[in-house]
Amino acid sequence: MEFLQVLILGICLGFVYALMVSGLTLIFGVMRIVNLAHPILIICGSFVSYWLFIKIGLDPILSIPIAGLVVAALGVFIYKLIFEKNAAQQTYSEMTVLLTFGTAMVIDGILSFFFHNTQRTTSPSYATDAIFFGDIFIPLAQLYSGLVSSVIIVGLAVFLKYSDFGIAIRATSQNRTSAELVGVNVKFVCLISFGIGCALAGSAGALVSFVFSFFPSRHWEWIAIMMSLVVLGGMGSLTGAVIGALVLSVVSSMVGAFFSPAWSTMVFFLSLFLILIIRPRGLFGIQSD
Amino acid sequence: MRILKEKGYFLLNNKKIIPVLILIVLTGLPIIQFFGNYNYLIHIVLFSFLYITMSSSWNIIGGYGGFISLGHNVFFGIGAYFSGFIFVRYGISPFITALIAGLVATVFGFGVGLITLRVKGPSYIISSIALLMIFRILFDRWELVGGTHGMTLPHNTFPVEWSKIPHYYALLFLMVFSIYLSWYIRHSKFGLALRSISHDEIKSEVTGINVKIIKVTAYALSAYFIGAAGAIWGDYLTYVRPNIFFIILIAANMVLMCILGGKGTVTGPIIGTIVMIFFNEFILANFGATELNIFFTGLLMIITLMYFPEGIVGSLKKRKLLPGFLDWG
Repeated sequence: MEFLQVLILGICLGFVYALMVSGLTLIFGVMRIVNLAHPILIICGSFVSYWLFIKIGLDPILSIPIAGLVVAALGVFIYKLIFEKNAAQQTYSEMTVLLTFGTAMVIDGILSFFFHNTQRTTSPSYATDAIFFGDIFIPLAQLYSGLVSSVIIVGLAVFLKYSDFGIAIRATSQNRTSAELVGVNVKFVCLISFGIGCALAGSAGALVSFVFSFFPSRHWEWIAIMMSLVVLGGMGSLTGAVIGALVLSVVSSMVGAFFSPAWSTMVFFLSLFLILIIRPRGLFGIQSD
Repeated sequence: MRILKEKGYFLLNNKKIIPVLILIVLTGLPIIQFFGNYNYLIHIVLFSFLYITMSSSWNIIGGYGGFISLGHNVFFGIGAYFSGFIFVRYGISPFITALIAGLVATVFGFGVGLITLRVKGPSYIISSIALLMIFRILFDRWELVGGTHGMTLPHNTFPVEWSKIPHYYALLFLMVFSIYLSWYIRHSKFGLALRSISHDEIKSEVTGINVKIIKVTAYALSAYFIGAAGAIWGDYLTYVRPNIFFIILIAANMVLMCILGGKGTVTGPIIGTIVMIFFNEFILANFGATELNIFFTGLLMIITLMYFPEGIVGSLKKRKLLPGFLDWG
């Protein structure tokens, strides 16, 4: 019974993780940028919905679009400022990774300076509530956030699969030159998909604000956790990211429940390390070179 | 006047005179402690020694070899823990065990290098972060060395003006030899092979370079002085804890100092470290917040990478403005 309980909690968290990394994997797919600033953008989203909740009492789930838009605007600004030159050539270089690392440090510094590194959570009424099915209980926060995440991810998948713009994004990520040849405005696609990626980060941030506690410097830990999720499934593949997130989330919950909570994050780091060494492209990843 | 000018140019362009003068000044610097308490100055100078040692060592694998590691302070922590543990358990001072701590880090680096150096590019950077995180958790949970609380080392019993001097000379020693190692590798056949690997591994392999051995050896060598410096630094701080030694900001500083000065050059890490440390102290003195330090470090990183990726030394060299005494290759 306990097994089922842990499994359900792990899956709920897994969908939140999947939403957190969906933007990362989208950005990598289109531009080959490993965006280490993604976790701090999520925390920006958390801050937006935190302030909306504190000031006007807006429910974090309802503030998802606002958080998404704010972070998307921030992301587009950063993209215009820093990445436009690098994204144009689609070279897969270490320097771009260090650039995103620097960006993460800049945002972290600003947030820590103004808001300090104290733990924050939004506490909507359902955050401490749970529903029971016999012996199994599901915290409403986890349930709602898992459901909302899965809805957003399915929406994203449908958008990528059927809309014209989604097809352009997929074409660019498969082969940039060919996409340009058949008339896709690659520069615009890059800009918009970076925006969409950041919007996904922002909306994940709104959910994170009541599922986990957050503080600016927490993103250092999340960098490796989120990388492990996308690397397992394969960078650049949305399906891979969702599967990676679900698998690792469940495994780490299991380790936490049956072994020791202290070792549960080790699952992420160890799998990240091993996958990168053994099979860098992951399970469904696109070829890196 | 003209003669004087030529003499001046000669001084600036001679590769030996100015470095030797600087070395003599640095060796004699602790004399000022006879005239008052200049502990802050001593601290800043020995802190620069520490980071010059680390960024010069990082430069061997990151600059010459092209493997950007964001987890290189793993060796820093291992050195500190090794010497700290021996000091706490058996009372043997880290000044004696520092060079052995370096060896431990090297052996360890050899093993890690064999495993991790198979991937290149962004995958390598991420795997180095993962390595750091794994070590952070391992040392957090390892009760023998104190878990998250770490170990507290005994103080030395010198009067306050002189308590930093042993660390000063130890780090000066390590710095000089790490720069020498970096210079030696830059001018050796080994270094040439390493630089060719950083451009293209497959072509290097075709020309008869044993790629695997060379890059793993470079990785292990780069771990040596970082481990030894970690041992001294643990004694200097008098406590060894995971959240001091296994944080990514130390690695970020190493990388940034190296890139700012010019990666792949011998003097680049030295210049980069000096600029960064003065910059950091300036920010701390004027704004007094470590958060701003993170902000400015990141900003500096972005500006350097975007506008002069060759760093200070590299850019000056390209424009032929580099004074000769800094041009060590």
